[in-house]
Amino acid sequence: MVLGGLNNMSDPAVMDEGKGASLDALREEIELTHRKLAEAHKMASLGRLSAGIVHEINTPIGSILSNNETIRRSLETLKKLVAKSQSEGQPLPERATVILDTLANLTDIDKLACERIYAVIRSLKTFARVNESDLRKVDLHETILNTLKLSGCVFRRRVTVITNFADLPEIECYPGLMNQAFLNLIVNAAQSIQDEGTITVSTRLDGDSVEISIADTGSGIPPEVRKRIFVAGFTTKPIGEGTGLGLSLTREIVEDTHGGKIWFQTELGKGTTFFVRIPIQQPRRQEQA
Amino acid sequence: MDQNGKGHGQPVVVIVDDEEMVITSVRAFLSLETEYDIHGFTDPEEAVRFLETSPADVIVSDYLMPKMNGIQLLGKAKQLQPEAARVLLTGHADKQSAIQAINEVGLFQYLEKPWDNSQLLLVIQSAIERTQLFRSLREKITELDAAHGSLKDVQSRLLRAFL
Repeated sequence: MVLGGLNNMSDPAVMDEGKGASLDALREEIELTHRKLAEAHKMASLGRLSAGIVHEINTPIGSILSNNETIRRSLETLKKLVAKSQSEGQPLPERATVILDTLANLTDIDKLACERIYAVIRSLKTFARVNESDLRKVDLHETILNTLKLSGCVFRRRVTVITNFADLPEIECYPGLMNQAFLNLIVNAAQSIQDEGTITVSTRLDGDSVEISIADTGSGIPPEVRKRIFVAGFTTKPIGEGTGLGLSLTREIVEDTHGGKIWFQTELGKGTTFFVRIPIQQPRRQEQA
Repeated sequence: MDQNGKGHGQPVVVIVDDEEMVITSVRAFLSLETEYDIHGFTDPEEAVRFLETSPADVIVSDYLMPKMNGIQLLGKAKQLQPEAARVLLTGHADKQSAIQAINEVGLFQYLEKPWDNSQLLLVIQSAIERTQLFRSLREKITELDAAHGSLKDVQSRLLRAFL
């Protein structure tokens, strides 16, 4: 393997005895560092998304708070009106009917607003299933829709999302990793769109695999960059925006972890489409245990 | 869409937010507490068309909206009706960019979501007061100009009569 190169650099005499052990230790360390990087990258994406999520939550909360305040004041007025008309033995005044109608209207809005907060928080929760490390059968469309909902907080107003879903069986995968892979591709697609544009997510069944494509109408990938986009540590984004790990991790998740394939088609000024193919069933891998 | 309010010479409040729920909440609150003539728009371009033909006392706008952001909308409002007070009601995440743009459009007040109803009412009340003060100031200046003009006329006639 690649690690053979390292042997040549060590002193052969020392190396012979401790070779196996030190190589194992080295491999473990590399693996650990790698996991740390993956986790750091995930947290960085979540952090960037959280600003958008807070904004998204503030509007419905503002609405609920305002409505509750209005309802509270109105109820006081209503109480006085009812007490007055009752003490005078009169029927309910017209103003009271108007207030009652308004209150009913506001209650409806409050319900809608609450449902929206719940949906955002729910998608955040699904995404943050960091420790869901077991192979599980999942509805891929649900995974994609959750990721779209979450990332949509950042670009909803300028990017239109179209989904073209075929009938798919549940596929066996690591759900947490899958979320991460799709999030990377969707966020990249959104970032490649300068002003307004479209992201089209399509799925289709192809034999014993599913194929997912994520197409954007963004700026496309320049020829000189195309060969390096899956390389870890390579980024074209400004400092603080990209970790240079997104696509390399996505490739690892798709190809190394799930035995799938990832590739892309791109045209400058027209956009990019990423294709992901994942087997429906994961092979039983004993040596991986 | 524009859902017309009360009319009859009441102060005109324009609310622009791409979220229908914000308009409904603010409208419900204002119509129970005040007699204002309230016009709500989810489409900023429609709000601009409204402002082209109808005078407003205060325009309350969201910042992040499709087609046109709040600063662009309030900029157009400033061109169309310089006296109408402009208020930005925005979510937290776009605060930085909003603050940078405030000077461009001469904002009367900047409010954050989630907003406080009593504060919003206070801001709208003082915005209307300010707009109406500006309007009466302009009327007084026009009257002064007219008076000045007629005085000059009298003066020149006097001069002509005596010289």
